[in-house]
Amino acid sequence: MSAMEIVAPALVDVFVARYYHVTFMVLVAVGLYILIDSKNLVKKVIGLNIFQMSVFLFFITAAYQDGAGPALIEEGGGPYANPLPHVLILTAIVVGVSLTSLALALVVRVYEEYGTVHEDRVEEVMADE
Amino acid sequence: MTFALEIALVVFVVVSAVAVAFLRDVLGAIVVFASFTLGLAMIWVILQAPDVALTEAAVGAGVMSVLFLLTVARTTRTEGDEGYLRPVNFKALAIVFVLFVILLATVPALPEVGDPNAPAVQETVDGAQTPYGVADDNRTPYGYYIEQTPIDAGIRNAVAAVLVVYRGLDTFGEAVVVFSAIVGVLVVLRREEAR
Amino acid sequence: MRDRENTGGEEREKKPYAESPIIMTSVRVVSPFVLTYGIFVTLHGANSPGGGFQGGVIMASVFVMLGFAFGIRPTSDWADYRAVLGLATGGVVLFAAVGLVALPLGGDVLQLDVLPIAVKWGVELLEVAIGMIVAGVVTGLFFVLSRGGRKEGEEA
Repeated sequence: MSAMEIVAPALVDVFVARYYHVTFMVLVAVGLYILIDSKNLVKKVIGLNIFQMSVFLFFITAAYQDGAGPALIEEGGGPYANPLPHVLILTAIVVGVSLTSLALALVVRVYEEYGTVHEDRVEEVMADE
Repeated sequence: MTFALEIALVVFVVVSAVAVAFLRDVLGAIVVFASFTLGLAMIWVILQAPDVALTEAAVGAGVMSVLFLLTVARTTRTEGDEGYLRPVNFKALAIVFVLFVILLATVPALPEVGDPNAPAVQETVDGAQTPYGVADDNRTPYGYYIEQTPIDAGIRNAVAAVLVVYRGLDTFGEAVVVFSAIVGVLVVLRREEAR
Repeated sequence: MRDRENTGGEEREKKPYAESPIIMTSVRVVSPFVLTYGIFVTLHGANSPGGGFQGGVIMASVFVMLGFAFGIRPTSDWADYRAVLGLATGGVVLFAAVGLVALPLGGDVLQLDVLPIAVKWGVELLEVAIGMIVAGVVTGLFFVLSRGGRKEGEEA
């Protein structure tokens, strides 16, 4: 039996036991792909949001433990999920929507100014002027 | 049973994100993005974060998609020329794949999902650090919040206690950031009435 | 140079707003309950999941629903978005006031146990302030993003 045959199943188990972490990494990759690939500015903002929400997944996963309930403290209760990451993500979601709308306002202004939200065509129009 | 549901939700979320990446129609991408955030909100419920789930469901699927729709209504809908899907951009895919592999290399160092020995869910750790030095009773911030919330604040929801009692100044800062966002949007968009 | 192939958005904008009786009726029935639920969530953050951020967003979604059913223009005229912005500003002022009132009472900024009321009610007060900020800001963002920057008289 080669070393590969021993290591590979163990490694698969490592990743399967951390499925939310792997999901977080996949979503980071997808968000970054949208940011690089998309030429439409609105879609870039969507990609930014997917990137951001994948980080939320990482935080909430870190706060969780098996058999935990939500952080509503009761006499003799427990275990609980860690409330601190929940607070951070709670505020991050609301700040995220505010910043998203600021980005969208800038996109609307770009459209009013240049007549397009396509990245390359904005540059063409700027070169023409 | 729960594990099967979790896997289904994870697959749903990932497929939605990939669909957003390849849909050419921005309107369609927005709708798929709304379902993506709804899937995430369900994952928050499974991970015992009901406060986050409430916000995510209302913000992500509700308000955020409406803001995107308004933007699309004021700009353009399609991206590129024709067809439903965008072609695969192999250069971008290569960059993203490198990042993904680098991130994946950190996975074995992370605690398993739900591991009760994970550092974030320990009530006491030898030599636990606080901003004022080593804690006397070795309590971590987690242990402190869990034990002290009913005593310090007289309430049960530790999330609200951390938000307002223990980290009130942070929350004030966040609220001001949210408030300054609308000031920024007004500055960017309301030039007509300023003239 | 304007984008010729992407005029779809402008054509859609010129169409008059179509009223849908199904959406209008259901929004009329549902919106008071959603507003009540938002207030409930804001005020019950202490002992159950909820609080200012969640309740504020739910309250703001009432205005989004009304905007969808009856048109954004009439809704924002009815809600008078100066009042909406006043709500957000009032929330920030309330939060700062609760934070600063602890100073003359001998505490630090935002120290709630020196207030003459129980800490629980201090928490509720700050949750209400957060709810006001979030509800005002999200509603305001919705109105401003839908019509801000347009010339007067232009249809939304």
